[in-house]
Amino acid sequence: MSTLKPETRDLQKSLEEDVEAALNPGEAQGYYRDTRECAALLLIAGAALLSPPAPRPKK
Amino acid sequence: MTAHTAGATARVESAAAPEQDYADYAAHGGIVRGALEWVTAHQDRFALPADVSDPRTDLNWSMKPLGELARLSTSITRTAHTVAEHLHDEEWRRLARHARGLLDFAWAEIAEGRVLLELARAEPHATYPLEIYSAFASAGLRDEEFEEFTGALVRTRAWAFTEQQPNRRLGVLAAEHHARLPSHDDPTEVLRRTWLGSLPEPWTFDVAAGYALTHTVFHLTDWGARPAGVPADLNRYLHHWLPCWLDTCLEDQQWDLTCELLAVGASLPAPYPPDRYRPVWRELAARRAADGSLHEVGPDTEGPDTEGRDDGPPDRFTHRYHSTLAVAFAAALTAAALTAAGVPAHGGRATAFQAGAHR
Amino acid sequence: MKNLSGAVCDLASEVVSVLRDGDHRAVISPNGQGPDAELGVAAVRVLGADVLLPSTLHRHPAAPGDLRLVREAVRTFPPGGDASASTEWSHWAMREALRRHDPTAAAPQLSGAAPDAAWLSRLSWQELTHQLAVLGALAVPPAVAGPSPVVAAAAPRTLDLARGFVRAVRRRDWLQAAGAGRWLAVLDSDTSPVPATLGLDAGLDFVLRMGGADPRVALHAHAARLLRAGAAG
Repeated sequence: MSTLKPETRDLQKSLEEDVEAALNPGEAQGYYRDTRECAALLLIAGAALLSPPAPRPKK
Repeated sequence: MTAHTAGATARVESAAAPEQDYADYAAHGGIVRGALEWVTAHQDRFALPADVSDPRTDLNWSMKPLGELARLSTSITRTAHTVAEHLHDEEWRRLARHARGLLDFAWAEIAEGRVLLELARAEPHATYPLEIYSAFASAGLRDEEFEEFTGALVRTRAWAFTEQQPNRRLGVLAAEHHARLPSHDDPTEVLRRTWLGSLPEPWTFDVAAGYALTHTVFHLTDWGARPAGVPADLNRYLHHWLPCWLDTCLEDQQWDLTCELLAVGASLPAPYPPDRYRPVWRELAARRAADGSLHEVGPDTEGPDTEGRDDGPPDRFTHRYHSTLAVAFAAALTAAALTAAGVPAHGGRATAFQAGAHR
Repeated sequence: MKNLSGAVCDLASEVVSVLRDGDHRAVISPNGQGPDAELGVAAVRVLGADVLLPSTLHRHPAAPGDLRLVREAVRTFPPGGDASASTEWSHWAMREALRRHDPTAAAPQLSGAAPDAAWLSRLSWQELTHQLAVLGALAVPPAVAGPSPVVAAAAPRTLDLARGFVRAVRRRDWLQAAGAGRWLAVLDSDTSPVPATLGLDAGLDFVLRMGGADPRVALHAHAARLLRAGAAG
């Protein structure tokens, strides 16, 4: 690679780094849709522990 | 070799509490004690309002928390007693008495069954009064009049065909059994109509399916009392897939569901192995507040108790009473599963009791 | 100049296309080597032995142009002294693929011992799944690709990988899920079966529908489907 011009060598070097990174990716962040809906779900889910009583009008 | 950066391992290590071993009785005793003390400190929030049978009272925020307190106190009493007998341990005897005291409080709140009878008369074709009653009945707290009144209704065709989710149908069948009433359906057939009973593709799991499956197991095993109620294929299925669900529930910060899944693991004919649940328990325990309580989901950012019951935004109690009961329930069952495996009292760091490791 | 990940996706699309058609044609079009020649070679290095996967699975001779570029990628991007295990193993797989497809042109740089695979057996099921998914190009049956220490190390861990597949789908990490699914398709055997309750075929279909817009996901998922259908079995 010593015959390459300096700018070509830089380009090659950065490409090598990109390749190394692409071959060794970290684990992607988990994505959960449940989290946003939790407030609505929890009432139902919690109620399931015993039984969701019939909905009644609030005072 | 690249590191496993964002996964469960790294998260668990950062939350490590090195002095506790969660395959040890002392660690679980500490969790039960902390949670029960929080419940006792908030006992007035479980008390029924004077107008509980008024049709305008929201039972989701009155009868439901009290029923859940009764249900889980019953189980924790039995389980803590089992551990105490196995270990000849005074701390676990105290925990059993503490849980029994909470059950007696709930029984007094429903006026020894009379409030449930009143609700059953108000809504004779609803199943919830019987479902709540069964929590007491399974602990030997009975009301002949309630059983007699409900007994006539469960014989109707309509009762047998009440439209409910299959996992809840299992609960109603179990309740009929505890109330010494005739069963209207075959539990093994109902089981196969539940999400879990179908042995579903495990990658379809979500929070709603998760709660359906935990309740299916709770009803099959009478809340952990009868592991033999889980058929062999379900036992095998759960051992295969609980690790993935626990891992992702932790990452998703579903603390309440994590507790229920751990309780399921401790209710299996072959209990979920300590090597697998140890890191899950470590992280869960680290998520508890200093007062021994645990919030349901996400980061713990809730404000103070506002003593509000129906009005105003949900307060600190609202989003932690269920998960606090659930963490005590799961910890007690996990300890009981250790006794079933014959683990001795001082196999690990059981001396932590004397060192005041519990809250 | 385009970035590397874009070039990798373009190349993966070509592989998917040839893999699905089953045609005997080149993955890399001969006139696609213009001003981005270096980038093209780097993309081949990242995709690794999968550039030759259609030839491997369909048992066609590889196109001379494809072989030339794989050889160039092997030569241009050798693993350095501090290279990670993933880098070393993907380079090893390219060398092995070249040896199989082009036995007459064995060059000195194609020789070299296989790296260590013992570390795989020490990984938790989560870590194992992550690492094997990164090494998805090595998920090829030994019957067509010859013996592989990575395949041998992964073979007894189908249950762990199946758990990793479930975890990846639940986390919506489609690339990891597709990679794990491809490994399961390779490793499913009588001695170490994938649990039937996993529903691998429906799972692969689901991953393809949810994440298939990423050609790297599509590549693994289609490879897995081909293997499940008995290709190269």
